[in-house]
Amino acid sequence: MRPALRAELLKITTVRGQWLGAAIATLALPAVSLLVAATGGVGAGDTVTSGAATGSIAGLLAFGIWAATVAAGEYAQQTMIVSLMTVPRRSVLYGAKLAAIGMVAAGGALVSAVTAWLVVWAVLPTGAHHTGEPFALVSVVLAIVAVSVLGMAVGLLSKSPAASASIVVVAVLLPKAAAGLLGGLERWVVGASPGTVITQAVGGAQLPHSQMFPGGAAAAALTMLLVATAVALGGAVALLRRDG
Amino acid sequence: MTPGERAAAAIVVEDATKVIDGVTVLDGVSFSALPGRVTAFVGPNGAGKTTTLRAILGIDHLTSGRATVGGRPFAEHRQPVRVAGALLTPDAAHPRRTARGHLSVVAASNDLPGSSVDAALELVGIAGIAALPVGQMSLGMRQRLALGTALIGDPAVLILDEPHNGLDAGAIRWLRVVLRALADGGRTVLLSTHLMAEIEAFCDEVVVIDQGRIAMAGPLGHFIGGASMEERYLDMVEGG
Repeated sequence: MRPALRAELLKITTVRGQWLGAAIATLALPAVSLLVAATGGVGAGDTVTSGAATGSIAGLLAFGIWAATVAAGEYAQQTMIVSLMTVPRRSVLYGAKLAAIGMVAAGGALVSAVTAWLVVWAVLPTGAHHTGEPFALVSVVLAIVAVSVLGMAVGLLSKSPAASASIVVVAVLLPKAAAGLLGGLERWVVGASPGTVITQAVGGAQLPHSQMFPGGAAAAALTMLLVATAVALGGAVALLRRDG
Repeated sequence: MTPGERAAAAIVVEDATKVIDGVTVLDGVSFSALPGRVTAFVGPNGAGKTTTLRAILGIDHLTSGRATVGGRPFAEHRQPVRVAGALLTPDAAHPRRTARGHLSVVAASNDLPGSSVDAALELVGIAGIAALPVGQMSLGMRQRLALGTALIGDPAVLILDEPHNGLDAGAIRWLRVVLRALADGGRTVLLSTHLMAEIEAFCDEVVVIDQGRIAMAGPLGHFIGGASMEERYLDMVEGG
């Protein structure tokens, strides 16, 4: 699987739009957090850590759309034919794609989260906010990896960059937007959605009790990862069964 | 086919059937391609040639039947590009990736040395434009790159689907010489083409497919007899 993984990483680095997309996605979270902090958008009850996470939706969307378009682009550009000819074991090909997307997303998310924390810490007035628990920003990394994996799987399932990007946007934004329509499911669906998982982990922002996941932040993160895994398995089954 | 012939054949397709949305596009297709021979795979548009080639490479799944390369399904080989190289379309490289970048990805996927990229670029005559994005290359240059992709692993089997498309006269002659030399060196070449003169010029075997069924498979000489390839082929697919 190692050669296939190397090839998948090389695919990203040899197309400017793909590595540039990952770089822009990495900058999205700290840029938005900087904007919020610099314009006085960090509330009195917020910590540096929760302030750093204010741009997390931008990061989630950017990485999710990037992963979806990279994966679906294999079909849109017909390069899947060469991918299947050179790595015809589809389980290996899928595993390599998953690992490559996950590695780039995890690395980018880590850089994003650390940069956002440092930027917000530097911008906020000294002593005006507690630092909070910086380790909670691990939730940002987990959420971005989960959304990226979901984006990749949806990209392979739909074969369409536009459709898969739209699905990622809906998956990230709809749970919160449609919270009022979910009734008793609200705390389960919204609570385990990527943006809310981060909010629960970093604290600070006002989150309605009805959107708090019943088992707490760790259980919410676990549920989010399980959903991403289920979608990833769906993508794997589709790739294994369908014609190239 | 005798067990000995089966063991010797590099490509074996046995009773391959493919049904897509209720339409039978391959109907019990069986044939083989032998080492040291150039086998022409011909048929009208929509006869099932490309579907058969994709099935041999495991890109499309067969509804029933079996296709093997070197005695086993293509996907079961550890370094597939060393076993078989294929050209199915000149447009299977990312338009924003350079020719060198494209071949580097293929080489990395099968753990081939970096020198194989340079060798493939030289072999197909595009070393001078290796830094050009594929989207800026002409059809003929993209076809050469696709050939480089097929040849990069120095494979024992070559599967080529209309490789002459977009090639100029010089490149067509070059391809003829290269494929003949590869076959004479013991490799198996399965070539789908509509160029009857090319088949007559250097192929050894002919497999004719029509409406998803094998109409004829055998040595070229037996097929054409005293007539021309074009005459015999058109008699078979239009007159039959």
